[in-house]
Amino acid sequence: MSPTLEATQRWMQEALVFPLRVAPEDVQERLASSAQLTGADGLAIYQRGYFLRITACMREQFPALCHALGEPLFNDFVAGYIQDHPPESHTLYDLGRRFPAFLEESRPDRDDPPEARETWIDFMIDLASFERAVFSLFDAPGWEGRPFADAATPPDRLRLQPAFALGAYRYPVAAYYHAVRQKQPAPLPPAQPCFVALVRTDYVTRTIPITEAEHRLLTAIAGGATATLRDPIQQRWLDWGFFIDEPPPALLEGPSRTGGRVV
Amino acid sequence: MIADLPRLGLGLGLRNVHFEQILSQWPAVDWFEAISENFMDSGGRPRAVIRQVAERYPLVLHGVSLSIGSTDPLNRDYLLKLKQLADEVKPAWVSDHLCWTGVMGLNSHDLLPMPLTEESLAHVAGRVRQVQDMLERPLILENPSSYVRFTQSTMEEPQFLRSLAEETGCGLLLDVNNVFVSCFNAGTDPVAYLEAFPCERVVQMHLAGHQHMGTHIIDTHDRPVRPEVWELFRLAWAKTGGASTLLEWDGDIPSFDDCHAEVRKAERYMGGSFEGPRPAAESPAGDSVSNPVGFLVPKVMESAVLEET
Repeated sequence: MSPTLEATQRWMQEALVFPLRVAPEDVQERLASSAQLTGADGLAIYQRGYFLRITACMREQFPALCHALGEPLFNDFVAGYIQDHPPESHTLYDLGRRFPAFLEESRPDRDDPPEARETWIDFMIDLASFERAVFSLFDAPGWEGRPFADAATPPDRLRLQPAFALGAYRYPVAAYYHAVRQKQPAPLPPAQPCFVALVRTDYVTRTIPITEAEHRLLTAIAGGATATLRDPIQQRWLDWGFFIDEPPPALLEGPSRTGGRVV
Repeated sequence: MIADLPRLGLGLGLRNVHFEQILSQWPAVDWFEAISENFMDSGGRPRAVIRQVAERYPLVLHGVSLSIGSTDPLNRDYLLKLKQLADEVKPAWVSDHLCWTGVMGLNSHDLLPMPLTEESLAHVAGRVRQVQDMLERPLILENPSSYVRFTQSTMEEPQFLRSLAEETGCGLLLDVNNVFVSCFNAGTDPVAYLEAFPCERVVQMHLAGHQHMGTHIIDTHDRPVRPEVWELFRLAWAKTGGASTLLEWDGDIPSFDDCHAEVRKAERYMGGSFEGPRPAAESPAGDSVSNPVGFLVPKVMESAVLEET
């Protein structure tokens, strides 16, 4: 009796995700051979294509991490990642969503005390988190085509725009990322706290280095706090399009459409 | 009704790497085909670009993740987003592939082949009806390139697609390169495939380059259309009565002008007599991937800016 469509699809998907589990006799039974290709040869094209296709997309989403690790090692990490977390979404943009967490969960020194852990792994995890934030902001809902707040906007109407994110890292990952982007020398940097704001205006994503205090202030604003911007640097935040002019949440009928995220 | 759908001429895939040139020069191309998944979730530039393109050119939406053949439930969230995009950009039609992309909640991001059985036919036909009801338009389905055939299959692909189209009223997208690739790999005759294909249901055709690996062919979309595929196109053009034709170039994508010049080669094959199948030419082996999707991921790093404070 022929296998059902559902059984055939489950078998083939298992063969793609876990190629080493495939029994040769199953392949022979389920897949026909031609003069050009045996069933196993044909299946191998799908198996190889699955891995190459996903790794190519991951390299596009994490170019600086790929640069830091080197392509062969990066591909090895991706191979482990898609075995643990096979893609679920219809969109390729989702591929890297769980990658920083995977790197953290799968680090070999995870059970060691913090002082005994390999620091370069911390850097890679931070870099992956930063790259994911930059990539996500590229196509996130934004505020293009609408007015931003300006110096005349009352403090209680300043809201962070939707295409905005804050990041705090143990390593200077933003400088590393942009050095790779500009094809400049990018040695692995020593640990140094790094705080950034990411903002997109006119479909350009900008990385704005900020201080720890500024990070705290912007985090509070993201949480709904009101802040008066007096400092010249904070005035520049208006110029960079951090804020829009929107009534306080209590005056809105529904939940606010805006508000940056803290990553 | 698919008979009412327009003949659009010679079109190109709307690709990220060509956005700047398209928006600044509005080149004289007949129409564009956009990959639905590249735009349906977009809150950023891709969505803004497709809106502008749709104002100036005929546009078609072509999907890679509908997974019409999967035994998982239809993804209603996906379909709602597709419908929203279609309502917004008003494509001439919406297409996808006769394939499945995953089961058990996973998505391989490949166009996986169906066993061609009565069970599959009934399954896919039921889902096509649901999708057409939801999208409020006919669905156009493409023959995929394939590298395996299931021993349980009881019919050939042209027969399967003919029955599917008759049962559901869906239209067909005839990928001429896929015909060549699949037939070569299966050791069957591409001309016989075309003779059996329900060409009266064809709304659109695809052309693309492939990589010949000696023993088999990979559908790489990364090079010019092969002469043997152009000859097959000559036959398909005649049999479909000049269906809208589109070039897919998805790996090592050259300039817009080169892509446009490549699709315009089709004009040389819109008449004359079919010269018969040509021997397939081999190409150097490489790291070839069927149905590449890397082009769907934008090169975000290239446009990222670091400000000084």
